[in-house]
Amino acid sequence: MIPFKYNLRSLIVRRVGTVMTVFGVALTVSVFISILAMVQGIQGVFVDTGEPLNLLVIRQGSQSETNSFFAREIKGIVETMDGVSTVSGEAIVLLNQERSSGGSTNVVLRGISDKSLELRPKIKLVEGRMFRPGLREVVVAKTISGRFKNTRLGDKVKIGKTTWDIVGLIDAAHTAYDSEIWADYNEVAGEFERPIYSSLLIRVADASSIQTLKDRIANDPRIKLDVFREQEYFANQTSTATPIKVMGYVVAIIMAIGSCFAIMNTMYAATAYRSREIATLRVLGYKRRNILVSFMLESLVLSVLGGIVGVMLALPVNGISTGTMNFQSFSEIVFQFRITPQLMAEGILFAAVMGVIGGLLPARSAAKALIVRALREA
Amino acid sequence: MKLLPLIIRNAFRNRRRTILTILSIGMSLFLISTLRTLLTSLESPPMTPESAKRVVTRHQTSLGAPMPIAYRDKIKGVPGVEEVTVTQWFGGEYKDPSLFFAQFAVDADRFFDVYGEAKLQSPDQAEAFKRERTGALAGVKLAERFGWKVGDTVTLKGMLFPFNLESRIVGLVDGGGSEVTYYFRYDYFNELFNNAGIASTFAVKAKSPDDLPAISEAIDEMFRNSTAPTKTETEAAFILGFASMWGDVRTLIVSISTIVLFTVVLVAANTMAMSIRERTGEIAILKTLGFSPATVLSMMVGESTVIAAVGGLGGSLAAKLIFGNVDMQMVSGGFLQGFFVQWSTVAMSLGIALIVALTSTALPAWSASRIPIADAIRRRGE
Repeated sequence: MIPFKYNLRSLIVRRVGTVMTVFGVALTVSVFISILAMVQGIQGVFVDTGEPLNLLVIRQGSQSETNSFFAREIKGIVETMDGVSTVSGEAIVLLNQERSSGGSTNVVLRGISDKSLELRPKIKLVEGRMFRPGLREVVVAKTISGRFKNTRLGDKVKIGKTTWDIVGLIDAAHTAYDSEIWADYNEVAGEFERPIYSSLLIRVADASSIQTLKDRIANDPRIKLDVFREQEYFANQTSTATPIKVMGYVVAIIMAIGSCFAIMNTMYAATAYRSREIATLRVLGYKRRNILVSFMLESLVLSVLGGIVGVMLALPVNGISTGTMNFQSFSEIVFQFRITPQLMAEGILFAAVMGVIGGLLPARSAAKALIVRALREA
Repeated sequence: MKLLPLIIRNAFRNRRRTILTILSIGMSLFLISTLRTLLTSLESPPMTPESAKRVVTRHQTSLGAPMPIAYRDKIKGVPGVEEVTVTQWFGGEYKDPSLFFAQFAVDADRFFDVYGEAKLQSPDQAEAFKRERTGALAGVKLAERFGWKVGDTVTLKGMLFPFNLESRIVGLVDGGGSEVTYYFRYDYFNELFNNAGIASTFAVKAKSPDDLPAISEAIDEMFRNSTAPTKTETEAAFILGFASMWGDVRTLIVSISTIVLFTVVLVAANTMAMSIRERTGEIAILKTLGFSPATVLSMMVGESTVIAAVGGLGGSLAAKLIFGNVDMQMVSGGFLQGFFVQWSTVAMSLGIALIVALTSTALPAWSASRIPIADAIRRRGE
């Protein structure tokens, strides 16, 4: 085995080329990580939403609260079922709101009951106060406050035909509810003349009755409802991240191919400069295999260094808040870029793969070179 | 110009390196061209003279809130309006949720007066659509995708609505986006929905594009104090509204492109630095022969320009070729419309390539052209 120091030193001797190649790989890795950090962020929001003992009920076949509507009497039927502890009837209206940065999108307005907060213990009021029933008042998730026009504490926002006061900000702990505006159910139903429920959130008495209650609701002929565990309902929406994921992989693969060519270039040059050294090593008794391994290692070091730098370049995007369309609910979902240790490892692995692919041909040609010819050259 | 043959020979003397560099730059410019095309496809939907005459009316709150169907005739009465049709989004599921396509309930007798660019294969198909209550029109590309023929029955599972919709294809329609859309009759839809009489959007055609602002204002004013106030905007603005729902796509694409650009500069600079370093001795000889430092410099810049231009043009033209032959509208399920690389994008790629050539070569070439001859000759073979 050729000492590893040999490779390190030669990387240092050719430092300009080394640095440029490392940065080339680093930029590719940082793009890869940044886009996947968005995917992680989106998926994280949905995975983190929901309580284990909550069931969510929507109209049969509607697939999302936004598309769901059913008569209010149904709540009474569900409330009396065995195993039900608390029921909250809620209504969803999509509001087309202008973003502060331009453009507009749909935001969920949720008409909530006096049970809604109790069933979602993660959600806290962080500024101002709760709305008062009977008044045109709303509370807004802190993450979207300021993201849309007229959504700061104290602002007045036009909903339907009336102007509503924003009296408080809530923090939903980075769950899907962090993209919503909440008001009193009766006010929302009144404003939009929709005396219906979009969904029922049900707290089950204990874990053992979840399945029986699900079956009971699904099989009751009086009510045509689909029932999900709250966590399962939101986990099903992680497909929101698919377009970004596709884009991320396409961009990363194209950039990676380009980077492989760049690594090949650097490594071919590195072997060409050292053809006499390589021949000398062979004369000293090192096998072709040793030369191959040595140059593959050098390429790997180059690319893994690039991977590490790339991770560091991408780190500042961690936590940045942005939004995209959740096409299941046809509304905006706000999320944060999320760089996990696993993602960092994936980025470095991605770089290593580029290094192996880019280094293979140059290392092979270095190993195959004829000793006599190499020594005669230059 | 005399030097051009020399520049080209120089560029290709280390053929492997030059080809690798061209491929690397080419991949990057392919990516930049693709990203720019994505942006133009999202931000500037294809507009026809017909679509420039239309406005879309929806509920002011959002598309999710319905308007009464009675608005149709009230809008028809607005001065300057030629025709109006309801366009009720159905959003049903065909076989599998992943097989997404647009489905609308429309007024059979008014639809073609509003969407003049949508063409049927024969006039009897229009008659059949007007005659058959359960008749439907399928876009030609959509029909191709699912292997539908005239006479086939298609069942859409209701998602937004609590019923399934079964209709029979009586015609195939093409043009202006209709080729990937499925249309059926509003009266049939309404009957299935217990005569609820709701509408998510109305498409309004004006007699002249000049009337659009006045018409939009008149429609919204008419319903301002009703139970369902409206928002009316041009078709282009309406489509852009959809694009903006995806979030800040522009920033995302611009930042990715910028980073890609940096990698191109790095790759090009690395290559040029390598090849210039190898040639220090030659440069000295050229200078001994009487070439001025400026000529030597321009030769080297010229060389990298050739490499970058070939890579840039190659990548961009490859993108043009690929997206010109692959139907991205079908691949993306109708999400990407008009996804083809414009000549302006190719020109932009060439421009980027030239700038890359200049910035990447400037420093190594400048210092190489200024090395004293004696030093340069001494460095040979190092």
